[in-house]
Amino acid sequence: MTVYILAEHRRGELMDVTFESISAARRLNDEVVAILLGTDLADHAEKVAKYADKVLVVEDERIENNTEAYTQVIGEIIKKDKPKVFLMGNTSMGMDIAPALAIDLDSPIATDVVGISEEGGRIKVNRSVYNGKVLSDLVLREAETSVIAIRSGEFSAADLEEKNGEITKVDSPLKETIENKKFLEFVEPVAGAVDITQADVLISVGRGIKDKDNLPMAEELADAVGGVVSCSRPVVDYDWLPKDRQVGTSGKTVKPKFYLAFGISGAFQHVAGMKGATMIVAINKDIKAPIFSVAQYGIVDDLLKVMPALTEKIKELKS
Amino acid sequence: MMEVEEGNFDEAYDVYACMQCGKCTGSCAVSLRSDLNIRELMRIAILNKNEDLEKHEEIWDCTSCGICTVRCPRDLKPAEVIIGMRSSLVEGGTIPVTVRDALESVGTNNNPWGRPKSKRAEWLEDLDVKVKNISEGEEAEYLLYIGCTASYDPRIQSVSRAAINVLTKLGVDFGILGEEEPCCGSEPRMMGETGLFEMLVEDNLTLFDEFGISKIITLSPHAYNTFVNDYPECAKRLKEDDVEIPDIELEVKHYTQFLEELIDDGRLDGEMMNEFSGTVIYHDPCYLGKRNNIFEPPRKILNIIPGARCIEFDRREDRSLCCEGGGGRMWAEGTGTGERNAIIRVNDANQDGANVIAVACPFCLSTLEDAHVTAGYEETMRVMDIFEILDEVLK
Ligand SMILES: Cc1cc2nc3c(=O)[nH]c(=O)nc-3n(C[C@H](O)[C@H](O)[C@H](O)COP(=O)(O)OP(=O)(O)OC[C@H]3O[C@@H](n4cnc5c(N)ncnc54)[C@H](O)[C@@H]3O)c2cc1C
Repeated sequence: MTVYILAEHRRGELMDVTFESISAARRLNDEVVAILLGTDLADHAEKVAKYADKVLVVEDERIENNTEAYTQVIGEIIKKDKPKVFLMGNTSMGMDIAPALAIDLDSPIATDVVGISEEGGRIKVNRSVYNGKVLSDLVLREAETSVIAIRSGEFSAADLEEKNGEITKVDSPLKETIENKKFLEFVEPVAGAVDITQADVLISVGRGIKDKDNLPMAEELADAVGGVVSCSRPVVDYDWLPKDRQVGTSGKTVKPKFYLAFGISGAFQHVAGMKGATMIVAINKDIKAPIFSVAQYGIVDDLLKVMPALTEKIKELKS
Repeated sequence: MMEVEEGNFDEAYDVYACMQCGKCTGSCAVSLRSDLNIRELMRIAILNKNEDLEKHEEIWDCTSCGICTVRCPRDLKPAEVIIGMRSSLVEGGTIPVTVRDALESVGTNNNPWGRPKSKRAEWLEDLDVKVKNISEGEEAEYLLYIGCTASYDPRIQSVSRAAINVLTKLGVDFGILGEEEPCCGSEPRMMGETGLFEMLVEDNLTLFDEFGISKIITLSPHAYNTFVNDYPECAKRLKEDDVEIPDIELEVKHYTQFLEELIDDGRLDGEMMNEFSGTVIYHDPCYLGKRNNIFEPPRKILNIIPGARCIEFDRREDRSLCCEGGGGRMWAEGTGTGERNAIIRVNDANQDGANVIAVACPFCLSTLEDAHVTAGYEETMRVMDIFEILDEVLK
């Protein structure tokens, strides 16, 4: 079965999800054709062709950064070639394109997919629902083409087989310039801003950290585990960390895989913002601190001792 | 409460009568520490420049204390204009994420705290006394309306338990609604969710009617205010739109008013209490004081407690400094920088020589409790709801 994937690129860079899409497509065991749209595509085409069986390149500046144009062009290619599956990342671009495409083609669609396989000629996907608490298996209905959007980071592209496929230029099937949706500009997040809601690991500090001078210790631990430092409200009130690091009902709601709470008592307003974390570990010298009732693991000790010890141990394990 | 469609603030709120004197901004509880400038927002309303609202992040700084409305020399309602502006932002979907989550949770869980409905009555588990549950068919003269914050926040749950102990000791015939208790809608209304508020008014009046409830005692001044002032007005408007609403007259009292009556009837006095030791300063909540002119009842209760030395803030009664807990501020930090009002308040209390700050509102308790720790008074000062003080002293 032939699977078409979208090669996603932004500001001159190919996105990792392109190769993850190829990796996902390979699980369906057949020819993988990549679609590459926009301008200045020669380099990208080379890189994608290394792992795809074929690359279709449409150079047309009217398509660049315009998801409406993307949707139409992909739609035209699919209607003509009728691949069994069209697959792309469930990225901000994918969320724009994939559902619209499924409507245009009257195709079944599965978004935010984390597993994919073929079963008796039908496509079976695995996707998470209820905010990640439940995984569901779905079998897509019979259709000429099915649309699938995969979650980034779920399909490893580490062991892709080299294919060195052919690169084919295709005339742009875009009928007219898209007027109802225009790309204006890329807006960069403010320099230095950290989005704690996106981090998998949060090293969260509370009033128990005692002094601003102790914060580098938390940063060091965060660096060692590849996490980000967040905090409770007093830490913001004391001006030790900026407002956008505050976890809680009047700060940010976070759901990291791992939340380490250092010197945080576990007040209602704080807990409401982090209790959705997959794993919570609390470090507090007061055994009666309410944070222990939401934590899976706890350490009753001075955080100023625990934090550096943990950093050292992690560095040791990594080296 | 008024429906505001984009571009008609002028009609809805009579804003043309505004002479831009600036008394609203001058009185505002947060204007010193945030960009909130009500006079400017009034001018925007007059000029009908709704399209600018999204840029005015400070619209979410308003604590809805209501002082601007109290002081307006033209009897306008600037505090309502802000709610109107929030409404149009809610309509447009451009609101702070935390506010959105709180409103969404009212819709799905019947409380703004994102907690399941099934856990609303968990605070009852640590109680020694048995309390009637009106939703299970038990009959009682009064409904004790607990409210969302006092149901879920562990610190404030202690007030709910104190209330049960005290009312039981005083032989009051009361019951609660347990898990069936709904959100009163005050905070959603203040956050501009007009539609949700109307739905709650309709549902709640129907629920009260179903359980034969006509007398309500509230823990929170916010619930008190909305039942007394917003519900009748909203119900009237809904009826005019042919919505079926039961015709019930609610007799609603804040618990301090109810206890004052018990004092007047000789059912509560100092003889019934053990000695309290402490210098107590009472913090007027805006929704009792400024918004409803209820100043005396809480003071009367504190004054009969033997051993309690009662003192007063310089800024008290209708000049009381707002704690910044209302108007959705539980879920929005606002643009403010510098010292929180709650910190100023606990510092004032400390300077005045108080070692107990007495409050009569769950939001005041939250903000002042937090502030007294932040300001370093954890060991030397207590922030207590009047119900908690009574629970401690009643024999
Ligand atoms: C309207 C409102 C909104 C709020 N919103 C938020 C919010 O969004 N997010 C938020 O976090 N808070 C919020 N709060 C504040 C909240 O109520 C708590 O006051 C706050 O979360 C407490 O922060 P903390 O746990 O860091 O400090 P504390 O409660 O003071 O706890 C410090 C902890 O550190 C421990 N400790 C001290 N020294 C050490 C040591 N050497 N080693 C180990 N442990 C130690 C102590 O035992 C204690 O448990 C809000 C409050 C209000 C009133």
